[in-house]
Amino acid sequence: MIRYTIISVLLVLASFLVQQFLPAFTGLHHSRILFVQLVFLCAAVTVSPPTMLLLAFVCGFLWDAHCGIGAHGGDPEVYTQPVESLRFGYSILLFGAMGYLMQGIQPLFQQGKWQFSALLSGIAIFLYLTAEYLIISFVRGDFVLSQATLLQMGYTSVLTMLFSPLIFWLLFLIADLCQHSINPEAGKKRRRTY
Amino acid sequence: MKPLNLIALLLFLGGAIWTLTRSERAVREIQTGYFSAVSPFLKSGSALETKARAFLEEAYHSKALEAELSTIRAETGRLRIIESRFRDLERENVQLRHALNFKDATRFDVVAAQVVRRHPTTWWQTVEIDGGEERGIGTQLAVLSNEGLVGKIDRADKERSSVLLLTDEKCQVSAKVEGTPEIGILSGQRGQFDDKPLLRLKFLSKNAVLKPGQRVFTTGRGGIFQANILLGTIESVEKGALDSEALVRPSVDFADLGTVFVVLSAAP
Repeated sequence: MIRYTIISVLLVLASFLVQQFLPAFTGLHHSRILFVQLVFLCAAVTVSPPTMLLLAFVCGFLWDAHCGIGAHGGDPEVYTQPVESLRFGYSILLFGAMGYLMQGIQPLFQQGKWQFSALLSGIAIFLYLTAEYLIISFVRGDFVLSQATLLQMGYTSVLTMLFSPLIFWLLFLIADLCQHSINPEAGKKRRRTY
Repeated sequence: MKPLNLIALLLFLGGAIWTLTRSERAVREIQTGYFSAVSPFLKSGSALETKARAFLEEAYHSKALEAELSTIRAETGRLRIIESRFRDLERENVQLRHALNFKDATRFDVVAAQVVRRHPTTWWQTVEIDGGEERGIGTQLAVLSNEGLVGKIDRADKERSSVLLLTDEKCQVSAKVEGTPEIGILSGQRGQFDDKPLLRLKFLSKNAVLKPGQRVFTTGRGGIFQANILLGTIESVEKGALDSEALVRPSVDFADLGTVFVVLSAAP
């Protein structure tokens, strides 16, 4: 189990490198594949709550380090109403919340029904983006929700979700290599059938 | 809840609170550490990406590229002559200013850089350029293209820098409208992901008389952007109860950014 935990942390770190080279789909309202979030969500359903929280902290911390924008600067007399940024670290809480959401259907995953988790990963990403957008709107005090934004969030969630079977396959492979069962009940059922 | 899970949750919340209370400087240090750790991968990855893109472009458009290259060569030669003439004029201008005892001569030192990558972030509109601190680039410097203002440097590493584009809501520029006394703050808009996003010019006077097509320039106020850099043209005007706002079409084609120029020093 320890080996599996260490490898899943390393997988999350590797996903940050992969994320750097995933382009935006300009034809689909600049939607993107959120690989880091996907790897986290898929891993979250396969581990215990403390490990999920560790992964959420690592992901949130690094994601904010990766995406953070500095203060505007300039003369405050001219730029009297600077556009506020989100505080460094807010993603940790978002990752944590999404992780708990994934953990909610862990019993189904443990029965071998990974398809529900794959579907939920798409929903979780949509909720993640919606929450992030709402926080931005709240902080900046001007709620604007255009159709383009909604479509960007929708396409991003769907595109990302399409890759979840690949990540689950990778996680099953890693679990096999580590001789660790991430869906023990499905294993028991298989053994009973034989 | 199991005791172990509760302890983990408390530790997680403690860690999150610790992170949320970091100062701006500490955050910048964390970001510097993060990007210096991933920079070897980014460098090799983006070099590979550039090569692959160049190879594909060459394979598909080799003839068109050849023709373009010869045109560019001719243009470069012409520009060199103009530049040498410009340098002469600049020198002469400085001498004349000195002779007239002017305080200082305007200088506009720029460093050219290539856009090597677009940041795959969720909302922020940023690009990465292949010039950094080694070439004198620092944060809060204006970035131009031959069409106008592109944005400003948000983060500078040793060999790379991140440019916050003018199309982002967070990039604010003090702007004036040509031929009018109107001055406002120009910035990008949230939720604009088209190829040609529009900018919003806020805080104009209530009865601003603006016509579509009028050009918008930087005022030079605010300490970041130099004066008289082209930003775009007025598209439409929206009158409000207290002030007016205008939609501005940017002069720069943000969908096709290649070479940009970072202004190292200039009198604002």
